[in-house]
Amino acid sequence: MDITHGTVSPAENTVYRLAGVSKIYRKGGREIPAVIDLDLDIKPGEWLAVQGKTGHGKTTLLQLLGGLDRPSRGSVEFGGTDLAKATESQVRSVRASSFGFIFQTFNLVPTLTAAENAEAALIPLGISHANRRERVSKALDSVGLGDRAQHLPAELSGGQQQRVAIARALVKEPRVLLADEPTGNLDEDTRDEIIALLDTLWRERELTLILVTHDSVVARRAQRIGLMRNGRLSIRQDTRA
Amino acid sequence: MFFLTYLRRELRRRMRQAIFIALGLAIGIGLVITVMGASAGVKAAQAKVLRALYGIGTDVTVTTKPKPLSSRPTSGRATGPGPGGNAGHATVCLNGKCYTSGTIDTLVSGDHGALSAATATKIAQLNHVSAAAAGLLLTDNRIVLPKTSSSQLQPPTSISVDGTDISHPRLGPLSNASLTKGRTFTSQDANANVAVVDASYATAHKLTLGEAVTIANKKFTVVGIVTQPQAGSPPQVYIPLQRAQALATDLATGKAMTKQINTVYVTAASAADIGAVQKEIQHLLPQATVTSSSDLASEITGSAASAAKLAGALGRWLAVLVLIAAFAVASLLTMAAVARRVPEFGTLKALGWRSGRIVSQVLGESVSTGIIGGALGVGLGFAGVAIIDKIAPKLSATVPSATGGGLQTQVAGPGGGAGPVSGVGPAASHTTIAVPMSASVTVTAIVLAVLLAIAGGLLAGSFGGWRAARLRPAAALTRVA
Repeated sequence: MDITHGTVSPAENTVYRLAGVSKIYRKGGREIPAVIDLDLDIKPGEWLAVQGKTGHGKTTLLQLLGGLDRPSRGSVEFGGTDLAKATESQVRSVRASSFGFIFQTFNLVPTLTAAENAEAALIPLGISHANRRERVSKALDSVGLGDRAQHLPAELSGGQQQRVAIARALVKEPRVLLADEPTGNLDEDTRDEIIALLDTLWRERELTLILVTHDSVVARRAQRIGLMRNGRLSIRQDTRA
Repeated sequence: MFFLTYLRRELRRRMRQAIFIALGLAIGIGLVITVMGASAGVKAAQAKVLRALYGIGTDVTVTTKPKPLSSRPTSGRATGPGPGGNAGHATVCLNGKCYTSGTIDTLVSGDHGALSAATATKIAQLNHVSAAAAGLLLTDNRIVLPKTSSSQLQPPTSISVDGTDISHPRLGPLSNASLTKGRTFTSQDANANVAVVDASYATAHKLTLGEAVTIANKKFTVVGIVTQPQAGSPPQVYIPLQRAQALATDLATGKAMTKQINTVYVTAASAADIGAVQKEIQHLLPQATVTSSSDLASEITGSAASAAKLAGALGRWLAVLVLIAAFAVASLLTMAAVARRVPEFGTLKALGWRSGRIVSQVLGESVSTGIIGGALGVGLGFAGVAIIDKIAPKLSATVPSATGGGLQTQVAGPGGGAGPVSGVGPAASHTTIAVPMSASVTVTAIVLAVLLAIAGGLLAGSFGGWRAARLRPAAALTRVA
């Protein structure tokens, strides 16, 4: 296996460039490093899977990439903007327009229908109601839930809920899809369905897909696999045929 | 659109909690409206009492204390059979003249001292005074002496009489009365023996228009019958001021009251000028008693005053406490709801929602709950006021009497030992009257309820919104994990 440890890609054309990124949490006067001196380039359209045991910094890395948290040190450049130094408003704007999130627990708003949950992702973009409805309809069709638009999350199966979450992530046509254990709460068959769907969407839309998983079956579908261990990232290049 | 859909769905999801918060606010707001309604009712009842005493337009009344009695103007004694076997007779002496038979009918001023008739004119010329009317509050005392020694001396009868300033129909006790029959005074009546009679008195004495009522041994033709909104101490008979002056006697001096009055009714130029008017009159007449409506209100005692104090103090504080409790519960429950929705808000923040948008969503939900609570509160307030109207006992008010000079009589039968049988002096100067209380919901109360509901919602939503705004998306999403 070709494993590099904290290397910077020589490629000029990158969507992400992380340099010297550390994230240290402080709890009761004690410092807990979650990510340590991480350097990483991610190309546009790349599928990167990040594996690792619980508590080794996978989710923290995803949050740093998604602008949900800021590093204690280093820079997280996305499309020329350093998310570590940008104002909260700038980061929020990047989140709203460029990132789609998929969570393990789906994180759908329980009182909103499938269509309304997907529509919620378009609210920060200031799109007209009619345009929102049209895009939501297409997004739900693309995940095979066109006929379940008016269903509440509680009326859908786990796999269907995750499809709604994927539709919500894709409806804004983001550049990057960030998925945190998207199959963690699903059975094997459903897991395969969801991964197949993500694969299709990744190919069709030329998305950059960064997926955190502890499931090796899922990780093997990615182009590159990173392994987080004690806050440090090791990358295994070009696993995908 | 999305805002409202989300708001409606969220309220529906937390319906029980929303109802609980709304009910808490409703009870507080309903209590505020009820207390305000009851308070307004009591105040209105008090105002009715005051208006009945001194008329609608009167802001200030001017009187003086009566001079001490110079002599005992009236005394009586009963003499028993003499050695010769003569039957005894009741004897009443008035102003040095003693009567053993016939009818004694005197019109006297007792409670208030005499003022010059020019006083009203002088007061009318003061800076902040809009109008001033003279008045002569009198009592007609009538004693019928027995014709034979075997008859008992009957207790005297008294009629309260108001010498009405015809030139100022909008001031004084008659201004508040409603004419039920006949007419009121005109300028041609200034020197005429005509009277306007209170309906209660007319009914009790079976008086109708055109009949006569006897005042100071003069017959006055009844030209009008009036009712006062508050049956209590208003005068029973109104006669023109000039006629009253011609017939009245000052009880203290025993002299006629020609060109004299004993009350001036004053209207200030504006409500804000009442204090200034009081000062100006006090400066003009240092010995005078200058009483404003609010002074008079403070003199009212009895259950009406107690109810006013109860509504004003206990009711107000009870309402405030309930409101504070309702606001606190609403705030705590909203904060608890926000705590439960941390993952939801974290997700929305991850989707790029502004903190302000999330705060406005929380505020919208709590203000909606507040408005529902306000609407329920208004309903409860109306119900509370209706219940008070139904079950509230009739209040009583003990008020300073407008007239005085009644007889305090102790009657001894013939054959009794010599000694005083009657005395004349100011009668008891307070009257207790029944006051019907009618509580009502005012527009102010409803506006206040709406404002309180919105304030309660905003307060609760602010706490919850503040908590939601401070959420870091990463921390919120970690909570999910």
